[in-house]
Amino acid sequence: MNEGTKQGQIHNSPPIMSRDIINLTDHEKFFMEKAFSFAKEALGNQEVPVGCIFVHKNEILAVGRNEVNETKSATRHAEMICIDQIVNYSKENSKNYMEIFREIDVFVTVEPCIMCAAALYNLKVRSVTFGCRNDRFGGSTVFDVAEILKPVTIVKGGYRSEEAMQLLKDFYKGQNPNAPESKVKKKKSDVDVKQDSL
Amino acid sequence: MSCAKKIKLDEKILPILADDLLEDTPLVEVFVDSIKDQKTISKVVKDLNASCPIPELTHLKRIKAKEILLLIKNNLEKQQVHEYLKSNGFNVSLLCNQIRIVSVAKIAPKTKTQHAKVNQLWPCNFHSDKYIEKLSTNTLFDHSEILEHQLYMKVAIEVARYSKQNKIAHFSKGVVIVDPKIKSIVALGYSVTHENPCKHAPMIAIDNVAKTQNGGAWNNYEQLTTTKLNLCGIHPKLYTLLQEKFPQITFGASRFKGKSIKEPSDGPYLCTGYCVYSTHEPCIMCAMALVHSRVKRVFYGVKTNNGGLGTLCKVHTVKDLNHHYEVFTKLCQDECESLKDV
Ligand SMILES: [Zn+2]
Ligand SMILES: [Zn+2]
Repeated sequence: MNEGTKQGQIHNSPPIMSRDIINLTDHEKFFMEKAFSFAKEALGNQEVPVGCIFVHKNEILAVGRNEVNETKSATRHAEMICIDQIVNYSKENSKNYMEIFREIDVFVTVEPCIMCAAALYNLKVRSVTFGCRNDRFGGSTVFDVAEILKPVTIVKGGYRSEEAMQLLKDFYKGQNPNAPESKVKKKKSDVDVKQDSL
Repeated sequence: MSCAKKIKLDEKILPILADDLLEDTPLVEVFVDSIKDQKTISKVVKDLNASCPIPELTHLKRIKAKEILLLIKNNLEKQQVHEYLKSNGFNVSLLCNQIRIVSVAKIAPKTKTQHAKVNQLWPCNFHSDKYIEKLSTNTLFDHSEILEHQLYMKVAIEVARYSKQNKIAHFSKGVVIVDPKIKSIVALGYSVTHENPCKHAPMIAIDNVAKTQNGGAWNNYEQLTTTKLNLCGIHPKLYTLLQEKFPQITFGASRFKGKSIKEPSDGPYLCTGYCVYSTHEPCIMCAMALVHSRVKRVFYGVKTNNGGLGTLCKVHTVKDLNHHYEVFTKLCQDECESLKDV
């Protein structure tokens, strides 16, 4: 591959460890707080506690949280739910969704997984701000999607990361009620090992 | 004869393997020496294993004829090696002090082919994994199994054609999800990306599987409740069409038994154990959605420019993920290729 094509990476912040705290504006902090409220709602509904909001020109256009257990579909992550809302919003307002996505700032409590990262990069969202790293599925921690898709999206993480991680730990302590028993056990030990090593 | 057979199989189906099964075993440089007296070999090995064990290279034998593997090459000079062994309490007078540096297998080889190569460099233990061997030599499926996979792919091709001809989709891409345990088609999907940029055929099919488990997030079909198997994952119009075209195929999912915290069930969980037949290579988003869904195998006909299962990367072989599925390509390749022109 041509080295020149690595340009996309310049826009991406270097890997940030989960303990790092990034500086956010008061506006951004407010949006993250909103995302956290949806993560907590997910936890209250026996879902993996990830909350997400999509902001367009300082206006919240989509809110979502994990709905995997409710829908029995492993693709219903908070980000995917927000994407659907933007598509519907665009249709209702006769707007081109690709134009809207280009101006979307994503605030999400956990680093987007490989699936969601690929989706957000393909939609060319402007930025992604996340809380804690995703050690199990992360689209940069586990497998670097940006390295392959060379997105225009700016990604930054580490804001309130310990709090976001604690929500995940709380969930896995209570275990995922929808997984068969053996899987729950396997999952739990996975999480314990990985998260302890943070 | 057997060679000709294999070439034919490669044309029909080809596994997309992890790089560590395809590439040569990585090598590492080590210091070796010769043993003065053949009779002392077992004593030298015993003493050296006690004083200078090499936990990283347990897959290697310590001895090659009269040569002995001393240690992994570090920043010592050749003439300093005996000094080092002595300081560890090893009796160096048994060796010739003709230190050489050779390359050996850094990790245990995974396939017979890999083993044959590194075993020439230095004797290497090898535990053949029958399943991996079948995968890496592309002998996993017999003729009748290939025919069965082709049949399901032909259904996926039909789904793709249907979606295009009925102007449901701009692109003809089709996906079929099969429960191999009951040999039945559980769900279908075709891309509806003009409606929603994430509604790729595999994403739709996954959502349709969810419907057979009383879930699902996208459009619902009318439920046919009279059948023994659950048909919620299959568009009714397509069901009628496919039933006519493929009378030998069973449709529907095992009935889902409700799950609650107190009452674990043995019913289906996401796409666990299911096989996916996709006319086109899934993109990274879809490939990861299939990991999340815990599918067993993915078969696809043709590669795509944004493919995540062989073209841009191999999502199914990412080491740190908690689930991995197998991937096979080239199934009905020509017919899938021709879908472009429909
Ligand atoms: Zn995700
Ligand atoms: Zn896709």
